[in-house]
Amino acid sequence: MVQDASAVSPVAHLEFKVAALLLLMLLLVGGSVLYVMYARGVFEPTQQLVLVSDDSEGVKVGMDLTFSGFPIGRVRRIELDPEGDARIVVDVPQKDAHWLRTSSVFTLVRGVLGNTGIRAYSGVLSDAPLPDGAVRKVLVGDASAEIPHLVSAAHDLVQNLTSLTGPDSSLSASLVNLQASTEKLKGQHGALGALFGNDKDARKLVDALDRTNALLARVDGIAAHADAQVFGTDGAVSQSRAAIAQLDEALADARATLKKVDAVLQETQGIASNVRVATTDLGALRAEVEVSLRKVEHLVDEVNRKWPFARDTELKLP
Amino acid sequence: MTPTTSRQSALSELGGSALRWLAGWWRIVHLGAQILALAVSPSTYRLADRSALLHQIYLSTAPNLMWFTALSALLSLVLIRIVLVTAFSYGLSQYALEMVVRVLVLELIPLTAALFVAFRCTIPYAAEIGAMGTQPELGALKLQGTDLLHHEVLPRALAGMCAMLMLASVSCVLTLVLAYLSAYGFTRWGFEGYTHTVGQIFEPAVSIIFLLKIVLMSVIVSLIPLASVLNEPGRTRGRASVEMRGLVRMFLAILLIEAASLVGNYY
Repeated sequence: MVQDASAVSPVAHLEFKVAALLLLMLLLVGGSVLYVMYARGVFEPTQQLVLVSDDSEGVKVGMDLTFSGFPIGRVRRIELDPEGDARIVVDVPQKDAHWLRTSSVFTLVRGVLGNTGIRAYSGVLSDAPLPDGAVRKVLVGDASAEIPHLVSAAHDLVQNLTSLTGPDSSLSASLVNLQASTEKLKGQHGALGALFGNDKDARKLVDALDRTNALLARVDGIAAHADAQVFGTDGAVSQSRAAIAQLDEALADARATLKKVDAVLQETQGIASNVRVATTDLGALRAEVEVSLRKVEHLVDEVNRKWPFARDTELKLP
Repeated sequence: MTPTTSRQSALSELGGSALRWLAGWWRIVHLGAQILALAVSPSTYRLADRSALLHQIYLSTAPNLMWFTALSALLSLVLIRIVLVTAFSYGLSQYALEMVVRVLVLELIPLTAALFVAFRCTIPYAAEIGAMGTQPELGALKLQGTDLLHHEVLPRALAGMCAMLMLASVSCVLTLVLAYLSAYGFTRWGFEGYTHTVGQIFEPAVSIIFLLKIVLMSVIVSLIPLASVLNEPGRTRGRASVEMRGLVRMFLAILLIEAASLVGNYY
């Protein structure tokens, strides 16, 4: 006999339970659909921005337009314009549109791994807001385009390195010279051999050093002798000390002599004052002598006039 | 027997097998169309038949819902954690959430739900229908034409579809919530970014393919096992062989749907 399902084990409130299950399913499906629509920005008013680029490689529908790392727009469509440029139509939600200004710059950056990003930069946020439907040129920065230059530079670098480290390179020659120098350093005369380049000159320097050592030994003996001469018991220093003592005595004598001189000077000062008085008297004597001289002169003039002993004083006319 | 005749007989046998295989598919499609036609006809939902239908829907959905939800939550948590930690260690954490949603919600959860419903509901239902074929009363039922379809097959098929849709929707929503919690924790500040990521994944084409995939899988796992058993009730090779063929056909159809969805999403 065919078993009826409802007859096997009756379920209480079956209709309610099934209705609840179906309602839950409808709620989940409906809620998910609404959430996805919200996530897609269906309920959000947007404005349009058209970015024009000569190459839209890497740009996909649905990718983000970012500003400071935050997604503020989404690529809705990519199309070719009559000039052959790519027109990237971006939907920007109006709540985020204030980040875009008329002076904003848009870049399309391709990473080394092929990841592409569209970025907006607004330097002056006080500029006028970007109008709806604005068309802007997008600057393309391609990191992968730098790879050929990088490879070329690396190739040059490797070539330079190869030529630098080759067997005929100057670096190799320098290393050979360095090795030769090291061998000389390890030789009999060590660094001297490396400095002079041959053993003969190095030996000369060693001889000179030996002689200098001998000379220094002799200088050392002379210095010891001089020391004895200068600082010994009968040396110059002790004799000088005696001489200084004698000089001291002489100075004491000189001091006594000076005191005597001082007394003499005092006497001389008294004599000088006497001489001053005498000089005053001499002034009067002088005046008298001058008067007498004038008289003698006058007398001589008179004698000359009356008895001329003079030489011929006649004036002759031409 | 000469080699030529043996080759001809092998070829004719191969051609016959292919024809039978195609004819089997055709009968399954035909039966499936009949069941679907009955499902959309208002007479199916008369009060007399409604009780059996509701009972089947309840038995298929409610007991499995808790189990499947718990299992899928566990599986999702493990996979989400693995993906997040691995992506973080490679410095690719910005792609982790997208990968989690794509792998789990778009691909794995619907497939797992379909297989779960097939093994827990529709294949046992097909076995029940097949078992009816061995009973003497089936002859009377068969004579009644669509009554077998109407009273026994249709409630089970609709119950399987409902169960598949229910399990898939609950698990997908739960996985979305778990992914958010695993990535951001119990904070609301990641909601904007998460919503943005989800919005980027669920493009219109991807969403339509996702919905179509779930609906088609629910139809496939509900109809093919039942239709396979109904198609070959009198075959002498045994019931197990018939159920196995139905299983293979169901897997093949699921594989085709999965491949088509992958092609639609990623090519």
